[in-house]
Amino acid sequence: MYEIIEGFLEAARLIVTLDADVMAIALRSILISLTATVIGTLVAVPLGAAIYFGSFPGRKGLINLIQTLYALPTVVVGLLIFLLISRVGPFGFMRLLFTPTAMVIAQTVLILPIMTGLTISALSGVDPVLRDALRSLGATRLQFFGNVMKEARFAILAAVAVGFGRAISEVGAAILVGGNIMASSFASSTRVLTTAISLETSMGNISESIALGIILLVIALGVNLVITAIQHR
Amino acid sequence: MHVSRYINLIIMHRRIIFAVATIMVALMLICGCTGTTTDPTPVEKQQLRIATTTSLYDTKLLDHLTPIFEEKYNAEVLVVSAGTGKALEYGQRGDVDVMMVHDRAREDAFLADGYGQNRRVFAYNYFVLVGPESDPAAVKDMAPEKAFAAIREKGMAGDASVIFVSRGDASGTHSKEKAIWKAAELNYSADVQGSGDWYQEAGTGMGATLEMANEKQAYTLSDIGTYLAYKGDLDLVTIVDEGDILLNVYCAMQISPEKFPDINSTVAKDWVNFLISDDVQKEIASFGVDKYGQPLFYAAQDDWEKIGVTEAEVKNPIA
Amino acid sequence: MIELVDVRKEFDGKSVLAGVTGRIEQGEIFAVIGPSGSGKSTLLRLIDLLDTPTGGTIRVKGIDIHAEREKSLAIRRMMGMVFQKPAVFNTTVSENIAVGLRFRGADGGRIREKVEEALDMVGLAGYGERRARTLSGGEMQRVALARAMVIEPEILLLDEPTANLDPVSVEKIEELVVRINRDLGTTIIFSTHDMYQGQRLAHRIGVLMKGGFSQVGTPREVFTLPATREVARFVGIENIIDGVVVGENGASVVDAGGVRVRAGWLPGPGEEVSLCIRSEDLRIAPADAARTPPGRNALPGVVTAVVPRGPFSRVAVDCGVPLSSVLTWKRVDDLDLREGSRVVVSFSPESVHAVRRD
Repeated sequence: MYEIIEGFLEAARLIVTLDADVMAIALRSILISLTATVIGTLVAVPLGAAIYFGSFPGRKGLINLIQTLYALPTVVVGLLIFLLISRVGPFGFMRLLFTPTAMVIAQTVLILPIMTGLTISALSGVDPVLRDALRSLGATRLQFFGNVMKEARFAILAAVAVGFGRAISEVGAAILVGGNIMASSFASSTRVLTTAISLETSMGNISESIALGIILLVIALGVNLVITAIQHR
Repeated sequence: MHVSRYINLIIMHRRIIFAVATIMVALMLICGCTGTTTDPTPVEKQQLRIATTTSLYDTKLLDHLTPIFEEKYNAEVLVVSAGTGKALEYGQRGDVDVMMVHDRAREDAFLADGYGQNRRVFAYNYFVLVGPESDPAAVKDMAPEKAFAAIREKGMAGDASVIFVSRGDASGTHSKEKAIWKAAELNYSADVQGSGDWYQEAGTGMGATLEMANEKQAYTLSDIGTYLAYKGDLDLVTIVDEGDILLNVYCAMQISPEKFPDINSTVAKDWVNFLISDDVQKEIASFGVDKYGQPLFYAAQDDWEKIGVTEAEVKNPIA
Repeated sequence: MIELVDVRKEFDGKSVLAGVTGRIEQGEIFAVIGPSGSGKSTLLRLIDLLDTPTGGTIRVKGIDIHAEREKSLAIRRMMGMVFQKPAVFNTTVSENIAVGLRFRGADGGRIREKVEEALDMVGLAGYGERRARTLSGGEMQRVALARAMVIEPEILLLDEPTANLDPVSVEKIEELVVRINRDLGTTIIFSTHDMYQGQRLAHRIGVLMKGGFSQVGTPREVFTLPATREVARFVGIENIIDGVVVGENGASVVDAGGVRVRAGWLPGPGEEVSLCIRSEDLRIAPADAARTPPGRNALPGVVTAVVPRGPFSRVAVDCGVPLSSVLTWKRVDDLDLREGSRVVVSFSPESVHAVRRD
């Protein structure tokens, strides 16, 4: 118990004094996950819409597949990408391993299924009567898609929030493709909140772990709070 | 027609949009930086990628040395730490430029297979068998092989207070542990692994393994560096710290540019030479004294005979 | 204006509409009534181009609306529809109403103007900035109506628009429907399972049964001169007697299980018929006191039940065939009618509407 309290106090100190290392790690976490979320959104939302509005053979099977991929273990994705971008892998020439870019790629791949799937769910949640209403009001195809998506906008926003939450909480793939490097320059380092917590804990630095953990919680919850606030306007 | 409505929306949410925009601009700057540093140009810093083991990394020796190197050679050092097995894997894939490990047998294989070249030994220390102060197996100051055998005997006989916690991963420490079991004339997979509740495999790094041993008041094999770093938080004491078999030799070697032509072999060479240079050897020999009262490492420079390697390996810079 | 020619619709092999034929004239209010599941919604959806028929043709102003894909948008924009479930978009009332106008590319000023007008028309002036989802069911349905009307459709379709609403809202909506038709001349087609609503509002009624129009006619025709037994049942004619036409002394009479009934008009002898008699046309009098004018049917019988129904009572009599009528309590008391009372049920032949049974 004493250790935990001590840890919390030290954590508070690190946060309040804006300890340089801790802040760098936190910022990097946000940047990488935010990038992954933005890219993910730009791909997943139109993709989800295309699948939802489309009709083609195997559509149902595809939707099932996407929902099955929700449970994709993150280390598996990490391993896959590691094998692809390792120097001996097919994309080795791009020298992506152990870079923040690799982490963005890994997180994007990770959150694509869930964001796509939740977009599809969001669109399905739009009352079928409203779809009829739109068509009967004389919507062109484009107007129809646009308005259904507008109607589902809050649920789609929630999907984006879930994506970000998943990205920033991810540790398995982050370690595999990032290497948890703390270099002398901000841009070359790949240590983020989750991998740092893992390292600090394995080294027994409880207070650092707690500090990082608190920050991670605040960020993850904070984003969701903002999203909820927007939804309640 | 829709434009005025969208403008209204933007005005309403301007604060959020501003925040997001700032972040995105920052992002682009960062990504811009990342882009340029992956392609080293003569004006830009060179990047050196090192794979090392957790036990070496956790002592923070590298954190101490890399700034000196970075300034002297205008380079950037990126260190990835993993278990020895994984570090070797990185080396075999050419994902790093230099390997720093402490498993002689596997290093030899690595060199023989042509993945590595120019091995240089830069430091050594000893493993220690640590355990509870009460020493339930009564093995204090025994020879390491005999101590291990005794622990096993008492554990198998059903003494619940005798427990051994193993690293249980493919680390250098684990390899050493297995070597000691072998020297005690025990078959690891038949006689030790899974032979009873007395032998527990942690599957974690050295620090976490020590903590587990502490929790269970058990014996475990640790490198001196990590043990000293954790000593203050542990109730474990040194049980056996003498014996040739406990020798722990650290080396650094280049990844072969023949196998991986675009490896940064120049800066890799510089780093290895840096490690065996006189000044750095002195740094290594004094590292940790102010914090722990004793050095974590011995410089390999003058003790090459003692540790069983050639003089060339400790003295000769790579051409 | 709208022609339905043998319209058919199947869903997964199940036939919902099996040949609907009829005409709806411009400027009239046409009600489609029928039991639940008879395909009323389906028919309206086919007209509004929300579904395609499996067979048959629908023509609007002479154009086969399902034949020409390119024209379908233009045709759909000529029609507006209000659905059974009050469905509003998750935005303000004004935005809801403006949706159709935005689709047509109207500019902001014009939209504001028309939305104001529409709000006035449905009695929701000032509701513009409220979030549509916070409104009551009746108010939401009026928003839906405004939304459909603001685009000035020539045809307005309403699918059981008051089915889920409270009586006050029902009245409001009905009022609006009548006013829209009267003031703007919009052709209105609405479906309902409430036949009295059909009777109140429509110029003509189509009774949709078994996948087709069993009868199309004015409310009076449908309610007093049903074309088939099923229609008679549906429009609430309580007394339906089945029998065969026989000749008797040169006049046509129906033999209904031994009981003879004279009717104003009958098909030829040998025809099987159902006789429909409205309760209002039956007179019940105690057996002894009865003095029936000649020419009327007078069937003696025994009262089997007296069931209260609001301020009235339904009196069921067994005359060899079951008949029932509705009397005030007072009358029931005055005549001292109760179970077992011997009575005579009388009615004029003209009030008997004969329908062929097939």
